[in-house]
Amino acid sequence: MPHPTQSFVRNGLLSVIDAEAYAAIGPHLEPVDLPKGTVLIEAGVPFTHAYFFNSGIGSIVVSTADSRRVEAGIFGREGLSGFGCLLGADQCPQTTMVQVDGEGYRVSIEALRSACQQSNSLRETLLRYVHVFISQTSYTALSNVNQSVDGRLARWLLMCHDRVTGDDIALTHEFLSIMLAVQRPSVTTALHMIEGYGFIKARRSNIRIVDRDALIDFADGMYGTPEAEYRRLIGPFG
Amino acid sequence: MSRFYLHQQFANGLIEDPDGTEAVDLTAAKHEAILAARQLLANAILTGVLPLGTAFQITDEAGRMLVTVPFSDALPPGFIDTD
Repeated sequence: MPHPTQSFVRNGLLSVIDAEAYAAIGPHLEPVDLPKGTVLIEAGVPFTHAYFFNSGIGSIVVSTADSRRVEAGIFGREGLSGFGCLLGADQCPQTTMVQVDGEGYRVSIEALRSACQQSNSLRETLLRYVHVFISQTSYTALSNVNQSVDGRLARWLLMCHDRVTGDDIALTHEFLSIMLAVQRPSVTTALHMIEGYGFIKARRSNIRIVDRDALIDFADGMYGTPEAEYRRLIGPFG
Repeated sequence: MSRFYLHQQFANGLIEDPDGTEAVDLTAAKHEAILAARQLLANAILTGVLPLGTAFQITDEAGRMLVTVPFSDALPPGFIDTD
């Protein structure tokens, strides 16, 4: 099967790498559909593939044995899943799943590792992304302890908005409650408030971003730094 | 398992629960309402803003009203003497 040319891919990492880096990874990219609910990496199960998204949103979740969970991070067309394999790990304690339908490419762990050995610039770009991702999880920790549910929700909606095309995000209240690790009525109330301010329109299983700038102000400094870090170190984002 | 809806009653009406929740029975749904009320009250205390809601109205899938759970039921007994 012919592999995608670099001008065709929409993944932010694959788009910005130089031609030599793309030559190392391109031949190993296999197109994949990423339907909502797909588990890409299971906690405690050895990685088989890394995934570069062209569209859709992936979510990295940590949970206790009795199923209490919280989302540790999200990624979409700017990133990849399974980067633990670049850091010398064979598996990880988090689960990665698709939360908004998308498509992209997968690459076997062996092929990704050998491409990174072949091309320093590929490895460096991917490691810069790991750095940006760690920045995001750091801000998630900061937000989780410092913001009430409405502020956390605002930040999270902005992060999703960066990764979808258009202003509509298909999410249920139940899903939001799992991601933010709060009771569902707290999500419903927070959405009701933010909608009351005119920042969003909430419909069943759909949230439309109406006033992004106001939402950023409302997120009170918790949104924007990891995103700026991506633009500074890697390339266009959002 | 049945589906229960936890609508929030507030001064000017209801904040509707669009999705509902699966619970084994009404007792389990009431327990969920209590946990949710605790979180809403805690958030209200932390932010110093009155909670929007005052109670949950629990309905079944057909929209039948089953029970009202006032937020005050979520407070530990003797939490604050409000008399």
